[in-house]
Amino acid sequence: MGGLQKKKYERGSATNYITRNKARKKLSLSLPDFRRLCILKGIYPHEPKHKKKVNKGSTAARTFYLLKDIRFLLHEPIVGKFRAYKIFVRKLKRAYGKTEWSAVERLKENKPTYKLDHIIKERYPSFIDALRDIDDALCMSFLFSTFARTGKCHVQTIQLCRRLTVEWMNFVIASRGLRKVFISIKGIYYQAEAMGQLITWLVPYQFSHDHPTDVDYRVMATFTEMYTTLLGFVNFRLYHSLNLLYPPKERLVKLSALSASLARVVSSAEEEEAELDQFPTEGEDMEKMETMEKEQKLIEAQKKLFQGLKFFLNREVPRESLAFVIRCFGGEVSWDKSVCIGSMYEATDETITHQIVDRPSIDKQYINRYYIQPQWVYDCVNAKILLPVEDYFLGVTLPPHLSPFVEEKEGDYVPPEKLKIMALQRGEKPDEDEDDEEEEEEEEEEDDDNDNEEEEDEEEEAEEKNLKKMEKQKSQGKSLQVKVTPGKMKVEDKTRLDQEEKAEEKRLAIMMMKKKEKYLYDKIMFGKKRKVREANKLAAKRKAHDDAEKSKKKKTRK
Amino acid sequence: MSCNKFFSILIIDSFISLSSNMASARRLKRVVASQPGFLNLKSTSNSADSASGRRKRLNKNKKKSWNKHSDINDVEDFLQDVRHQERTTGGLLSEKSDDSLFFLDVGQPKKPEQKGKASRPLRIDLILQHDSLVPPPKDVLAYQQPNAKKLRRSAQRAEQLAAKGVVPRRRKQLLNRRPVDRTAKKAETEANNNPGREYYDIWGQECDAADPWYLQQTRKSLVKRPERLNEKPSVLPAVEVIAPGGSYNPDFFSHQALLQEAHEVEVKKQKDENKIERQLAVNREDTATEETILQEQVEGLVEEEENEEETAAPKGEEEDVAVGAITLAAKKTERQRKRERAIKIKEQQRLANKQQTDHRQQLFQLRSIKASIKQQDQKTKTRQRQRKDNQEAQKAQPRRLGKLKFQPQDMEVQLSDELAGSLRRLKPEGSVLKDRFKSLQKRNLIEPRERAKFKRRHKLKYVEKRAFREIT
Repeated sequence: MGGLQKKKYERGSATNYITRNKARKKLSLSLPDFRRLCILKGIYPHEPKHKKKVNKGSTAARTFYLLKDIRFLLHEPIVGKFRAYKIFVRKLKRAYGKTEWSAVERLKENKPTYKLDHIIKERYPSFIDALRDIDDALCMSFLFSTFARTGKCHVQTIQLCRRLTVEWMNFVIASRGLRKVFISIKGIYYQAEAMGQLITWLVPYQFSHDHPTDVDYRVMATFTEMYTTLLGFVNFRLYHSLNLLYPPKERLVKLSALSASLARVVSSAEEEEAELDQFPTEGEDMEKMETMEKEQKLIEAQKKLFQGLKFFLNREVPRESLAFVIRCFGGEVSWDKSVCIGSMYEATDETITHQIVDRPSIDKQYINRYYIQPQWVYDCVNAKILLPVEDYFLGVTLPPHLSPFVEEKEGDYVPPEKLKIMALQRGEKPDEDEDDEEEEEEEEEEDDDNDNEEEEDEEEEAEEKNLKKMEKQKSQGKSLQVKVTPGKMKVEDKTRLDQEEKAEEKRLAIMMMKKKEKYLYDKIMFGKKRKVREANKLAAKRKAHDDAEKSKKKKTRK
Repeated sequence: MSCNKFFSILIIDSFISLSSNMASARRLKRVVASQPGFLNLKSTSNSADSASGRRKRLNKNKKKSWNKHSDINDVEDFLQDVRHQERTTGGLLSEKSDDSLFFLDVGQPKKPEQKGKASRPLRIDLILQHDSLVPPPKDVLAYQQPNAKKLRRSAQRAEQLAAKGVVPRRRKQLLNRRPVDRTAKKAETEANNNPGREYYDIWGQECDAADPWYLQQTRKSLVKRPERLNEKPSVLPAVEVIAPGGSYNPDFFSHQALLQEAHEVEVKKQKDENKIERQLAVNREDTATEETILQEQVEGLVEEEENEEETAAPKGEEEDVAVGAITLAAKKTERQRKRERAIKIKEQQRLANKQQTDHRQQLFQLRSIKASIKQQDQKTKTRQRQRKDNQEAQKAQPRRLGKLKFQPQDMEVQLSDELAGSLRRLKPEGSVLKDRFKSLQKRNLIEPRERAKFKRRHKLKYVEKRAFREIT
């Protein structure tokens, strides 16, 4: 037994990690600068698997970074800039202290600055990478653009964010990419499609800021700094993909009105629908292709949702959001001149089809236009069809605003309002009377329930039927009643036969299952049934609730 | 003698001509000649000679003796006078017109009343002022050009070459120099948050065709980013959409579901709080009663003797035990040793036999062994799966990245009576800024931190000021 004794913590995970303070010292940066560098470069702290080993026997909670990451940071040219900036601040302070104004001027002229372009290129090697990460950038930019100029962040940052977000909205309008909108209590969620990527972002309501104290503004500003650079480059690329000039020529104020279109000449090529290429396909691929085509058609239809409609926004509705949504689907929109720049026509225009109002009543009403509440616009977008306006008239209690981000699976509880919308999408027309409508709703619900039940019971029923047939045949065989009757043409219902065949196949497949698989299958079926049961329960509850509401209403009427 | 005078004047003449311009010198000569006192010089010199008594003999063949012995005081006086006139009046008085010399005295002109001495120049300025009316002489050297000839020749040659169409080397270099890009520097000093900043196609442009080896050696190429860094530290999406109950005009049931969720969170919080309170609560039995206080006070005063006896007794026992332990070790006899060894060997044999039979028996237990192995395999597999599932679930969880644990944000919820019927009356709930910040923490992008607390380095001292003390 010879050799040197191995020392502790000189190999293994202890050498792979480095604490934050050590990393900071290695880079010779102050903590805020180090934090900023990490955010800009996309290097995040790491939780080691064996904390005690890494922490040299201590179990205290610390922030660890991977040593290789920090080594990588050492090569970053921005680190030098940070150091230079530190010295610049020191010199400036000294000059101020000595009241040497000429020195202050000179120093300010030579203020060290840095660019993030190379970092963007490095972190997002391709455009699609950047587009996938744009959600955060959009959220942050929209958030900062709504900040008041209270000194919590630079005014310039606010202006830049505003510019970028306005450009983004104009792009979405030009590309007609908006898919979903959800008005929540927090803010407005939008979902748009750009270059085949679904992009979700959250826009806060205007003037809703109480600056929370437990948020690190410096960190947020650093993130914003990075994201504004990213968003600018992405905007540039997106604009060029639509053959638009970037930056747009109009001034920011006019752009932010969202009333004028970016393209000077509306190209006729855009009108031609790009049809999906046809490929010779088989089986499953065929089905997939069909569904894809259907979706494509739906989206095309959705893009022209408000085409030909003329909206007028009253002053009490959120102008920017509504203008954005309406213009995304091809509608024309205007507002009062005193509200904002860029109004296209007056309220007295006879060709206006919809006026969006959010007050209980209005004095002067034109007979040839609908007066509707703003929720109609959002609900139409989510339903992908023009909903009947009756539910959204002035002073009417609005139907609930459902979240378009919820996707119900088979057997989940679906609120009746959504069922109604689904029915409308399928092209079924509800009756005009309210009561009838409700009844129909209920029927639909029941139908739906029955459908579900049927699906599960199908196999059993099929089995039973087969058994009965067999028995009958047997009994017929036993009683020797010989009788000749005139032959009847057997009417073969082809669809029914097909169905039966399928059911038989399924039953046989179930029978052929291994014990293990059968067990699993039973479990799945049980889960499904339970889901259905729960959904039924909820539906029943809802019915009870609705009935109670109705009776209440009747009482109040009386 | 007259000749002597003439020479001296000439000398002066030459001196003047050196120091002033030619025109003034000429004028001076003329003036000197026309002066009536010019001939009188002789008489004065004569008188001086006569005063000395004896005529002095002098050599007149040397310029040196002329300089030494001729009396030029009168000329110098005269010239002094002329210079004085020129300095003070700008010319000779005799040449001036009467109008410039005389004026009609009509008494003191009335001065406008001046306030203060603000308009008077400083004395120092007056001293430094140039008070002579004679203009300063021109610097002749300033008009001369050194190497004029050489320069002229080179210019001629350059002209010839230019006529031939030959461009000089220096010019060629200048022309060949790369133009300075002024905009580049400007762009560099531009701040990142400049609202009017320019963007370009960052993904479209291809990298330079320069030699990669050269770029790397001159540190112009950036170090390649490790692939590992492109993975996101969490699988959570950037924007988590609020539950359907968070709609401004929610469906009844989804709203109830959200309320239920918020309620559960709140209940859990309450439970934790209660737990801590319970743990911190003081045990009733630990509090001092009157009895225990009294006991504590009289501790050591009463029953002293008894205690001493009690403590004394066990001491002796302990000593006995210790002594006994040492004496217990006794020597084994040879017979005992032999027996022990035999027992040991027997035991070993027994164990070996048993093992052998077990091995043999295992041949008949093959099936059950196989089953047990299978079972074990199954167990490891399930455990592996479970571990993998756990790891997957962990990916969506916030990690422990610092001193503090991640604290989820309070849920945004509006109670049924807070819900606004219309968009106009909607009151936004929560802060988007905080939501974003927490989202960054939740996705392990930044570690959760507390706001740095302000620490006072020195204690504050309160002192009543005298003025305040007088009042009170």
